[in-house]
Amino acid sequence: MKSHLTTPSRTATLAYGAIGIILLLIAWQWGSTKVVSKSALPSIPDVVSALRELVVQGSFWIGVALTLVIALAGWAIAAVAGVALGIAIGIFAPVQAATRILLEFLRPIPAIVILPLAMMVFGPTTKMGIFLVIFGVMLPITAQTAAGVESVDPVMRNTARSFGMSSREILWRVILPGASPYIGTAMRVAAPVTLIMAVVAGMLGGAPGIGNALSVAQTVGRSDTLFAYVLVLGCMGMATQAASVSIERRLLHWHSSYRGEQS
Amino acid sequence: MADSQLIIDHLSKSYATRTGSVQVIADLTFDVKAGEVVSIVGPSGIGKTTLLKCPTGLQPMTSGSAKINGREIEGPPPEMALVFQEYTRSLMPWLNVEKNVRLPLRHMHLPKDEAEQRIHSALDSVGMHNASEKYPWQLSGGMQQRVAIARALAFRPDVLIMDEPFASVDAQTRFELEDLCLQIRDSLGMTIVIVTHDIDEAVYLSNRVVVLGQKPAIVTSILDIDLPVPRDQITTRSRADFAQTRTSILELIKNGKQ
Repeated sequence: MKSHLTTPSRTATLAYGAIGIILLLIAWQWGSTKVVSKSALPSIPDVVSALRELVVQGSFWIGVALTLVIALAGWAIAAVAGVALGIAIGIFAPVQAATRILLEFLRPIPAIVILPLAMMVFGPTTKMGIFLVIFGVMLPITAQTAAGVESVDPVMRNTARSFGMSSREILWRVILPGASPYIGTAMRVAAPVTLIMAVVAGMLGGAPGIGNALSVAQTVGRSDTLFAYVLVLGCMGMATQAASVSIERRLLHWHSSYRGEQS
Repeated sequence: MADSQLIIDHLSKSYATRTGSVQVIADLTFDVKAGEVVSIVGPSGIGKTTLLKCPTGLQPMTSGSAKINGREIEGPPPEMALVFQEYTRSLMPWLNVEKNVRLPLRHMHLPKDEAEQRIHSALDSVGMHNASEKYPWQLSGGMQQRVAIARALAFRPDVLIMDEPFASVDAQTRFELEDLCLQIRDSLGMTIVIVTHDIDEAVYLSNRVVVLGQKPAIVTSILDIDLPVPRDQITTRSRADFAQTRTSILELIKNGKQ
């Protein structure tokens, strides 16, 4: 591997990362003791002890699990429905024509505006959370899948056709894998959004999970617990992101953006 | 034309455009006998590639007919396999060599042994049996085109159709692949139709050369190539009659442009 002058080595990258974190922690501790009141910005030891209290409670883990269930279930449903719709749009001109204006209309609308409606229909439930997640990530997955289908080379399709492969076989063995780099990117970009939507559903909509616990902590004025939850959320986000990158890398090892890693 | 395997009869092709229909091919008539190598040459931009899309069943023809083994061609016929110029675009990058060759066999539901045997011998005949685990993008251009040829061979067609198959590889590789072509014809008894812009290649490979000309395209002449077989890249190409044939085809193409 050639190393570039401006690219630090792996150890250096880790060291810089550690320095960044340490600087932030120092700023945090300094701010909590010198600048603002402790009730607004709790000190690091307070947050750590609040976190210690949380991790021994069953309700905390149930909250974490529920948030993950909402995010993952929504992600999975949005993926299946979004990919199916995207493929239909990419393949059938009438479907594309029928959905084009609708999708353009829906795209700039933030998913959160659907919250009041979702609350009316589902109430403060897990279902409502899942619905909100689906609403938040399905459209981008659909649009990316449609773009992926269009990116499949006509020479590849003609090759498959010339060998007498049926439309169904071409869909499964040529178009879907051909579009998969686009779908993979859409899924990875959607990963953090699913968590955000799951938390928002809890904070503003009362759906069970960490979001709800956050707003409860706020109501009772426990800023240390609130910060502990924020730390937990950050870690969950990193874990989800890492998992989706690793799945993408495994499935798309053949694609030009991952080729270097496997040989 | 009783022994003709492929018959193209008064084929014409027009495309609908915004300003009306544009005729690309006016009238093509030629036939290909079993075991022959026939090349189709003509000035660039004459629609050689369009010509192949009709008898391969990828696009409907506007009028006329194409027959393989006496049967009218309507969709992609199972007795035919195609090799495209753009090997990087016709091989699936997510499949390794072995799986790329297997792809067109899947829907045939062959017994497992036969599928394995076909794949093995196809890769063997193009000299790629050691690369079955490799991915296309790990191979050179010439090797990728060999894999594309192996994929067509495993399909066991009667007629192999090649669209500018060696236009994107270097000269040395091109010679190797041309000889591979002749070897396939001899050992497997396959009929081969090649569209090419390379007159030398057409003369070297073919039993007959179909020359296209004019716009929209017609067949201006069909030449028998009586060079002795087996052909050899050095001795065949240095023969006086090779040069004469090449010159006369060049003249035909030049005249056909007007």
